[in-house]
Formats: sequence, C-alpha cells, structure tokens
Amino acid sequence: MAMIEMRGINKGYMLGEERLPILKNVDFSVEKGEYVAILGPSGSGKTTFMNIIGCMDVMDSGEYYLDGVAIHETKERDLTEIRNKKIGFIFQNYQLIPTYNVMQNIIMPLLMRGMSHQDAETRCLETVRLLGLDQRVEHKPNELSGGQKQRVSIARALVGQPAILLADEPTGALDQTSGKEVLKLFSEINEMGNTIVMITHDLSVAKTAKRIVRIVDGQLME
Amino acid sequence: MRLSEIIRLVWLNLSQNKFKVVLTSVGIIVGSATIMLVLAIGTGSREEVAEQFKNLNAGAIDVTYGGEAQSGGGSDWFSSMFSFGGGEMPSFGGDGGSGMPSFGGGMPSFGGGSGGMPSFGGSSGGGMPSFGGGSGSGRSSGGSRSSSGGSGMPSFGGFGGGSNGDDLILTQADCDLLMEEVDGITDATISYTTTTSVEGGDLSSATYYTIAGVLDNYAQISNLSMAIGSFLTQENDESKEKVCVLGANVATEIFGSAYAAYDGIVYIDDRPYVVSGVLEEMGTVASGISPDTAIFIPYQTGIKYVTGESIRPTITVIAADVNNVSAVMEDVNAVLEETYEGSAFGLSDAGSKMEAATTSNQTLTLLLYSMAAIVFIVGGIGIMNVLFVSVKERTNEIGILKALGCSRKDILMEFLLEASCISFVGACIGVLLSLGITPAVELFHVRVSLSAQGAMLSLVFGVITGTVFGFYPAYKASRLVPVVALNQE
Repeated sequence: MAMIEMRGINKGYMLGEERLPILKNVDFSVEKGEYVAILGPSGSGKTTFMNIIGCMDVMDSGEYYLDGVAIHETKERDLTEIRNKKIGFIFQNYQLIPTYNVMQNIIMPLLMRGMSHQDAETRCLETVRLLGLDQRVEHKPNELSGGQKQRVSIARALVGQPAILLADEPTGALDQTSGKEVLKLFSEINEMGNTIVMITHDLSVAKTAKRIVRIVDGQLME
Repeated sequence: MRLSEIIRLVWLNLSQNKFKVVLTSVGIIVGSATIMLVLAIGTGSREEVAEQFKNLNAGAIDVTYGGEAQSGGGSDWFSSMFSFGGGEMPSFGGDGGSGMPSFGGGMPSFGGGSGGMPSFGGSSGGGMPSFGGGSGSGRSSGGSRSSSGGSGMPSFGGFGGGSNGDDLILTQADCDLLMEEVDGITDATISYTTTTSVEGGDLSSATYYTIAGVLDNYAQISNLSMAIGSFLTQENDESKEKVCVLGANVATEIFGSAYAAYDGIVYIDDRPYVVSGVLEEMGTVASGISPDTAIFIPYQTGIKYVTGESIRPTITVIAADVNNVSAVMEDVNAVLEETYEGSAFGLSDAGSKMEAATTSNQTLTLLLYSMAAIVFIVGGIGIMNVLFVSVKERTNEIGILKALGCSRKDILMEFLLEASCISFVGACIGVLLSLGITPAVELFHVRVSLSAQGAMLSLVFGVITGTVFGFYPAYKASRLVPVVALNQE
C-alpha cells in the first residue's frame, strides 16, 4: 500500500450560512521514499490540504490512509500519537519554541514518546551533526539565523524517524542561499529513503522535488 | 510524556518568567500569609483563653451573695449608710484592732475592738442584737453564724423585718454547711479581696495592691503553684498570723525577685507581714483573683487587721463531677436560700465561663477563616486570570506542541503544574511574609502563635487554590485545535 492514499477528499468552511469548498473530491497518493511537491498559488487550498495530510485538520468526507492507518476513522487522541510517530512537520516560519534552546526544541518529539531527556539527547546527536548544528545546541532560536532555524526545524522533524516529512513553504522565509541549502538538504534526506511532501507556490522550489502535483481551485492535477 | 520531563519543562518556563511568576502569585502570597496569621492568631487566642482558665477548676462554682434579695420592710438607705461591718466601711470590729478606730471609708462602723474604743460587737460575734428586722431571716455574718468570722458585728441592714437586704456576708460556716448538705462537692473555700496600701522592700512609697483573704485550700482549688516557700496554712488562719504569699508580679515589683521576696517583710496597712512564699507566674486569668498581682493573706488575719467585716466574700465549691455542675449549683442555691430565706445568691460555674470564652473564640476564629477564604478565592481568581492570559500568549506554542504530538493530557498537566508551582512559590513567600508581619501584629497586643502546622496548612491551601483555579485555563489550553493554535499570531 502507498504511504499516503487519499480518495475523494472534500473540505470546506462555512462563511455565514454559505459553505465555501476548499478541497473538491481530491484523490492523492504518495509512495514510500517519494519526494513530492504540491504547487499552487495562494488561496488554492494547499495549506488546508497539508493540514489534512498532517492530521491537524479533519476532512468533511473521503478516505485517508497513512502508512496503512485509516485516518478518517481515527479519533483525535490517536491522531496525536500518529502526528508524533508518523509525521515530521517543517513549517515556513519554523515554529520553534522561543524559550527552549536548540537541543530542547529538537528532542521534543522524542520526549513526547516517553523517552528520557538524556536518551533523547543521545539519540538526536547524529541528526544534529548531520544538520551542522553541533555548535548551536545551547542557543535559543532568537540567536540563530533563518537558515539555522529552519535546519533546527528539519532536525526536529527528522529526529523521530517519521514515515513522512511534511514541509510547508520551507524556503518561504529564507534568503536564496539559505533556501538552496535547505532544498539540498531535502534531496539528501530523500536519498536516505525518507518520504517528503513539500508544499510551495514557487515553481523553482517545486522543481527540486522528484514529482510535482499542482493544486488549482481545490483540485489536484499531475 | 514522562512526568519528570513535564516538570523539567515547567521549570524551564517558570525560570524564564520569574517576574511573571511573582506577580501571578501575589494573590496566593496574601492568601497564605493571611491563613498563616489567622491560624497563629486563632491558636494564640486559644492559648490565651486556656491560660486565663488554667487556674480555674472546670467543676468550680462561685457563690456570692447577690443582693437581689428583697429587703425587709426596713429602709435600705439606712442599711447602706449604717451597714456596720459590711460594704467598704472600715470596721471597728476585731479584737486586735489598733487603739483607735479607723475612719477610712467615710462612715464609722461600730464593731468590736480591744483597743481603746469600746466594742459593740464582740469577738465571738453576735454580741450586738440585730436591728435587721424581726423575722430573723436576714442573718448577718456578724451574727451567730459568723462566729468564725471573728468580729461579730451584727447587721443593721434591713429594718423592719423580712429578709436581709445587702448586708449578708457569707462565712466559713456557710462553706462548711455546703460541704455537709450538698452531695457531690469535693471541696469548698471562701475568699475575699480588698485593696489597700502596701509598703516595704524596694517600694519608695505606699502602693495599693489587691489583698486576698483566703483559706489554706485556696491554692489547691485554684491550681496555684509555688515558686518558692509554701502557701498559707490552716494554722496561719486560726492564729491570725501576719504572713502572706505574694503573686509573681507583686514579688518582682516589691523585692525585685521571688527569691529576694521570700522571708521578707511587707507592710500591709502599716502592719508587718512575713512573706512565707511566692507564687509561680500564672498569667492573666478569666475571672476571680488575678494571682500575679495579688497578695494572699490568711482569711481571718485579713478580717482582723485589714478589712474588718466589710467584706463581700465568695464561696467556691468544687463539684466532684464536671458533668453534674448544674445539679450541684441548684443544690447549693437551695441550701443557701433555705438558710437565708428570701435572699438571692449569684452562682456561676467555671465551665460556663470557659464555654462562653471558647464559643467567643471559635466565632472569632471562624470570622478570620472566612476572611482567609475570601482572600484565597480572590487570589485564585487572580491566578486564573493570569493563566488565561498565559494560555493566550502561548497559544502558538501549544499549537507547536500539538503538531509535534503532545497529548491533551500532557498539555493539561504542564499548565496545571505551572499553576501549582506558581501557587507553591506564592505560598512559600506568603509564609515568609507572615513571619515578617508577626512582630508588627504583636505590637497591637495580639497574641500570635506561629506553628509549623500552620505553615504546612497555608502551603497546602495555597497550592490547592492555585491548582483548582489553574485547572480551567489548563483545560482550555489542552482542548485547543492544533491547526487553529498553530496559526495564532
């Protein structure tokens, strides 16, 4: 079975008494080890789509299987565990906790699995080295550059060895050089066998992925 | 998430927001300080009541001649003006009086006296006929029943027959009568007080002190204990010896210390008395003679040399069973009313006084507790408000945690522990604050009895209040929708 299997996904929001459809009967699948870019302009529904893939929002109708788990039948309590174990999030604005240092931010997903602080730190050392953050572990997010913050965010997503990495505009807040570094890093991570789904409005960014899916007006087009 | 890791995160959050923690906990600081002081003041007042009653036997019943009795047909003004041997008039009575009668008090009284004045009374008592009325119901202590009273000055109170009027003086004989007639009494004593000038020791001039005429069993009945020497004896009383026992404060005031006072001489009404003992400090008392500030002399000695018959003694009987005090009181009253027909007596028991004081104390404590509860509620609401603001501020952080897979339970726990820790810090500061405030409170003569128990209780209450009021904001935080929380600016 595919890593992600979606059939007939519909999602809309109520605007007063009127329902505004965002996703219209979307079918989508991602195989294990794929690197997929979902490309679309603002307001096309790509963030809503990513939230549904990331189990942070619920669909109105349709079926969604993530690594064999029927997400559309899963309760919120179990979705929390799925987010922790199967999904690694990389956000446009990094979403790091400002009061924690780099190491504390990175190990959070492991702590949530019940791992001790020391075990979690030991386990993430390799990831920290891979992302070149060895010298920054004690720093607070406000002491880092944009590129470094995004690398921390990627490290946090990778450390739990999730089934998929979900990246929402990962280079959106970065300068060109840092953006290129991050995209290079994505390719390397994908080469290591990780499945990546990236959402972007930038065609040049999307082109770094192995597969591009366009989203227009709530519908997907290959 | 492991509890230890949640605690670590809580510590991380709090240590980086120290000022906020202190501000948030202001309500709890005040609440804890209040409850600590309330407990301390409550305990202090309880101790004070207990101290005031420590020399009171729970079964003790005080009997005084009430004066509510109907006077006979005689004129009251006469009895009040010519109450020979009664009231506050100095008496001529007594066989060992000074050569000249004392005119202190404004009106002379005509008692006996072996001095230069002729005695109208006689030391055996009953020497003078009573003008108190024909019915004979108004027996005077100067009469036959007062023989043990020494200077038997008859009463003139209540002309025209009928009851005694205001001149009835209870005597040792009444004491003995009650012991004989009333069941359930283990002991009885009689005492009176007066105020007179005292000289001697380090006193530079005559000073007025309370002089208590008591029997030898008074110390035992009133739970008095000696610091040095011994209490008055029956022999002292029978021989009308000029000996005295000083209260702790009196001894210090006159001689500097109990040790210096022992075997010293004090001049009571210009007569020398040997100090046979000094009492331990007893503190303030709820009623009766305040032992620290009194000079105790033998009952008969006092009548002979100090007061004459102008006394209003109190008989104190001890009920064998403290649960049977009411019945004993009724019996005592019945015996006295039968003996002194038409007279009324005031009876009060120590138990009722204790109960009244305890009830009053409890009411005060309840009031203070209510105040503390209100302060805690206000403090708790303060914590709740600040936590709501905190949740609002950290909505994005909660969103991140949820996106990373933090469970509702863990988020609830984290915020709840934060509230508990803030409360704990506040409660600790409150306890310390109360320690600082205590000397200021004591300046207002309020007894404050701080205790470890009180500190523990205020800590526990502080933490519970903060945790309870912190629950709702924590619950709201745990229920945030991840995607909504994450997009919160």
